[in-house]
Amino acid sequence: MATYSLHLAHLYGDLLNTYGDVGNILALRYYANLMDADLTTKVISIEQSFDPDQFDLAFFGGGQDYEQMIVSKDIQTKKDGIVKFINDDKPMLAICGGYQLLGHYYIGADGEKIQGIGALDHYTLSQDHHRFIGDITIKNEQTGETYHGFENHNGKTYTGKSEQPLGVVVDGHGNNGEDHQEGAIYKQTYCSYFHGPILTRNGELAKRMLLKALHNKYPDADLSAQEALEIKPTF
Amino acid sequence: MSVRSTLATAAGKSSYWFLHTFLHGGSSLPGKITTAIDPNILKAFGKKYDVVIITGTNGKTLTTALSVRVLKQKYDNVLTNPTGSNMEQGIVTTFITAQKSKRGKTLAILEVDEANVVKVTKYITPIAFVFTNLFRDQMDRYGEIYTTYDKILAGVKLAPEATIIANGDEQIFNSRELPNPIIYYGFNHQLAGDIKAPANTDGLLCPKCNHILHFGFITYANLGDYFCPHCGFRRPTLNYQVNKLTELTPTSSTFEIDHHEYKVMIGGMYNIYNALAAYALGRFLDVSQDQIQTAFEADKKVFGRQEVINVDGKQVTLILVKNPVGLNQVLDMILTDNDPFSFVGLLNANYADGIDTSWIWDGNFEKLKEHAIPAFMTGGERYKDITFRLKVAGIDDPITEPDLAKVVDKLKTLPTKKVYILATYTAVLQLRKQLAEQGYIKEGMEA
Repeated sequence: MATYSLHLAHLYGDLLNTYGDVGNILALRYYANLMDADLTTKVISIEQSFDPDQFDLAFFGGGQDYEQMIVSKDIQTKKDGIVKFINDDKPMLAICGGYQLLGHYYIGADGEKIQGIGALDHYTLSQDHHRFIGDITIKNEQTGETYHGFENHNGKTYTGKSEQPLGVVVDGHGNNGEDHQEGAIYKQTYCSYFHGPILTRNGELAKRMLLKALHNKYPDADLSAQEALEIKPTF
Repeated sequence: MSVRSTLATAAGKSSYWFLHTFLHGGSSLPGKITTAIDPNILKAFGKKYDVVIITGTNGKTLTTALSVRVLKQKYDNVLTNPTGSNMEQGIVTTFITAQKSKRGKTLAILEVDEANVVKVTKYITPIAFVFTNLFRDQMDRYGEIYTTYDKILAGVKLAPEATIIANGDEQIFNSRELPNPIIYYGFNHQLAGDIKAPANTDGLLCPKCNHILHFGFITYANLGDYFCPHCGFRRPTLNYQVNKLTELTPTSSTFEIDHHEYKVMIGGMYNIYNALAAYALGRFLDVSQDQIQTAFEADKKVFGRQEVINVDGKQVTLILVKNPVGLNQVLDMILTDNDPFSFVGLLNANYADGIDTSWIWDGNFEKLKEHAIPAFMTGGERYKDITFRLKVAGIDDPITEPDLAKVVDKLKTLPTKKVYILATYTAVLQLRKQLAEQGYIKEGMEA
């Protein structure tokens, strides 16, 4: 038994699970174990309620167009809970469709406008029969960390003033191919188009999320050993 | 045939002869030459053949191969296309290079890529379609299962009288109203309970009411005895069913279809589906159960997308993996081996492999940890990705060898007699080249 335990909500994990996104949860569990913490997960799907107080972390992946449309309707009923979770400074990772649905809206495959929950201040347009596909490298200017991934998206996302990019594009396309930004950070919510998955290639980000979750849940604990964990390159 | 068709066929044929004689290959160019001279060439061929089209994500090749064997029990001549020639031009080449039949119509069993079904049915009206399954391939979202099925149906719409022989355990094949007669095959080998699929499974929405499907049982991925507790949508009555799994090993499968026992020399639940599909087609075309048994058991050699190679006394099984569902099926299959074995994972990320390696995270490598596997090895251009995947699955420090040229030597140092190598497409080609150079196999890629 580990000293600490963390509970993760896997938002719509049975519907949104493309491109190995589940690897992010496997990576979180792997690094959590190195930090003397157990990580348990629960899928929160359509017609299930989301209680933000039950969870320390959340993951929200991407899916096929059809499943995302179904989720866009259901997620309106979970909006208050998700907004509270974010405002409580709890770490969340949102990839691709999850990223888009946290924002105001995105444009679907047939040109229709699909509502997000507007928890974050971005919106997403579509490209006409074109996708950004390929390896991508970005650099976070605050931390100096470089992140590696694989992007595969039709959406072009434009972030709002309250959001910071996850990184500046070094190589690849990023959010929209125009402003050289990739992803978004708002409070402890990290958004990205990276598959690959992002946390298996960029353990620093997994560590950052886990540390925050541990500090939230165990404010008086001595986490210096966890802080000192060295992340070995995997890519 | 019209003069134009005859001329077009002759031009295509001579180019095929040229390519094979002097350039050792080329199966789509003759088709291109022929269709350039006569764009309606397939129509001319269609009149001479009863055509069956086999399509779906996984299992096309093996279902086609087994179907040809089964139908040869009844027909003297069964035409088929070689693996990899499942697009329009390759199919034209198949017809122009076919031996002439002296008697009336012959049967053609064609493996057709999902997006190419309409390109064939534009000219040829098949007597039947066989649908294997629809899974997400790794590349991009245009390949999502709903759009892929639409592409297939665009071709089916041009042949509304052709019988569809579909996997009944695959809910998407029961999601649309179609005018065609439909025959369903599937599994009914265990008692039905009420379970949900694991979260990381594709295609779990009820096609009628968009609620999450439940299952009486699941065979693999999202295949099984599905039902919707919300609207009552459920699996259709099966016309042909596997009613018992008798023995599953990595190299053979013994099972009962309609209470008659069969054995095929290939492992893996997914391959039983392929045999069942071939059986259903055979029964539809009046091949008897005994004849099908003979056909299945005729070849004692293991076949399919795996190859057993003797490397200095080691029994090395090389298996191609290309998407998560296939990968998980292969992992399940090798774990049916009772003998100790070493596990090798070779990962490349060239175009033919899929340039995105993220799909390995959908593979359930955690299963390997539950078995006492004495040695692990990783290799290929993306050995770091596969090594970390194994590490997260609890398998520390496998032997790593990025250079495939050196993998063969490393194989010889593994502690077990049996070795399973799971490799992506270009890794298979590169490894086979090495094995051929060292004299363990003959050059060239088999089906």
